[in-house]
Amino acid sequence: MREITEAVKQEIKEMVFDYYAEECETDKNAITEDTNLQEDLESDSLMFVELIEMTAEKYNMEIKLQSIGKYILKTPMNTMHDVLEMFYKIYQYGDDIVNQ
Amino acid sequence: MYQKAFLFNGIGPNYEKLLAKLTPELTEQFAVLYAAACERLHLNRDIQKNTGYDAKIAEWLVPFICDRIIYEFCLSRNILPDIGIGYSSGIVSASACFGAIRHEEAWDIVMTHRSMLRMLDQQNIELDTGIIIGFSYNDLTELFRNTFSPEELVIGSSNSSFHIMISGKASAVEKAIELCTAEGALKAFRLHTGTAFHHAMMQNYSYEYIQYCKQIAYHKPEYPMLSVFDGNILETAEDIAGENQRNVYTQMRWDLALKKLESLGVTEFFDMSASGSLSRFSRVGRKCRIYTFEDICS
Repeated sequence: MREITEAVKQEIKEMVFDYYAEECETDKNAITEDTNLQEDLESDSLMFVELIEMTAEKYNMEIKLQSIGKYILKTPMNTMHDVLEMFYKIYQYGDDIVNQ
Repeated sequence: MYQKAFLFNGIGPNYEKLLAKLTPELTEQFAVLYAAACERLHLNRDIQKNTGYDAKIAEWLVPFICDRIIYEFCLSRNILPDIGIGYSSGIVSASACFGAIRHEEAWDIVMTHRSMLRMLDQQNIELDTGIIIGFSYNDLTELFRNTFSPEELVIGSSNSSFHIMISGKASAVEKAIELCTAEGALKAFRLHTGTAFHHAMMQNYSYEYIQYCKQIAYHKPEYPMLSVFDGNILETAEDIAGENQRNVYTQMRWDLALKKLESLGVTEFFDMSASGSLSRFSRVGRKCRIYTFEDICS
């Protein structure tokens, strides 16, 4: 497991919020951790894939999408909070996220 | 060497989303061309007033005409292709835009899909296609190996390392979606096309389509195309005829075709779909870029 600091969490949060603001053509300041991915942003799974790819590249990680898919089966992604928590875990556990 | 590749999308994107992306000027152009196509095919130009098979044909016409408008918009901005490629029925759009067939013939080709749907209904055959996000071609091939026979289900198109279109019997598509979801697909869903596009069995139901494609007078395209089926460069009228004739029932390797274009020197890809639908599931190398209609406008 990789240690995650508050600074890294903040960096991930910035990246995720920036990404959704641009992709969903929304003011970044209007996005909060309570923002609902479907109802508020109308985001879709292809955006999600791109964000995973960006994260993997930024942190030099190899991640199998199916590991994340299995994690999502157990932990549905509804709000931005859910997304952030998942990306923190991706950073920490990589493919082993499926066992978290 | 090629630098700019134009990517043509076919049937697939939501027609309302496509139309919403057009500028007022292009919307006017669309209305004129759509009316002409509807008149030729005896459809109601008010899409929602069409019923039965006509309703599907009326919807399927939209991306053809949108692609053409975006293509002509690019030319007006002096963005010219060095090569083109069609995704599924985008082959027909590309053939028409590159002057290998007439646009009216492209509309007629869409219409031949009606006999396909009718025949499947008459024989009570339920087919479908679906999308699996999160699996690669090799992952899915392995997963399906012991679960489905090729008669039941195949990979209709490998779009990228994470995006696959499956095709076959509706019951098999449904079962595959359940299986993939359990195995970690980020998303898996049916497209409810009523056909199994890019499955070999479609050759049995595409008589009218194939016959029509055979009888058209093809011309040498103004720009070459790359085959989405085998990666060959298509430069002659005969090449384009062949690509169109085998379209409906042959597996596509969109992922490999894009790689081939890169190996030929392409660094700039232009998505002719107004909603950028191709660019969303396609992936190209770090030194390349896919431009959407929004990029071209900005």
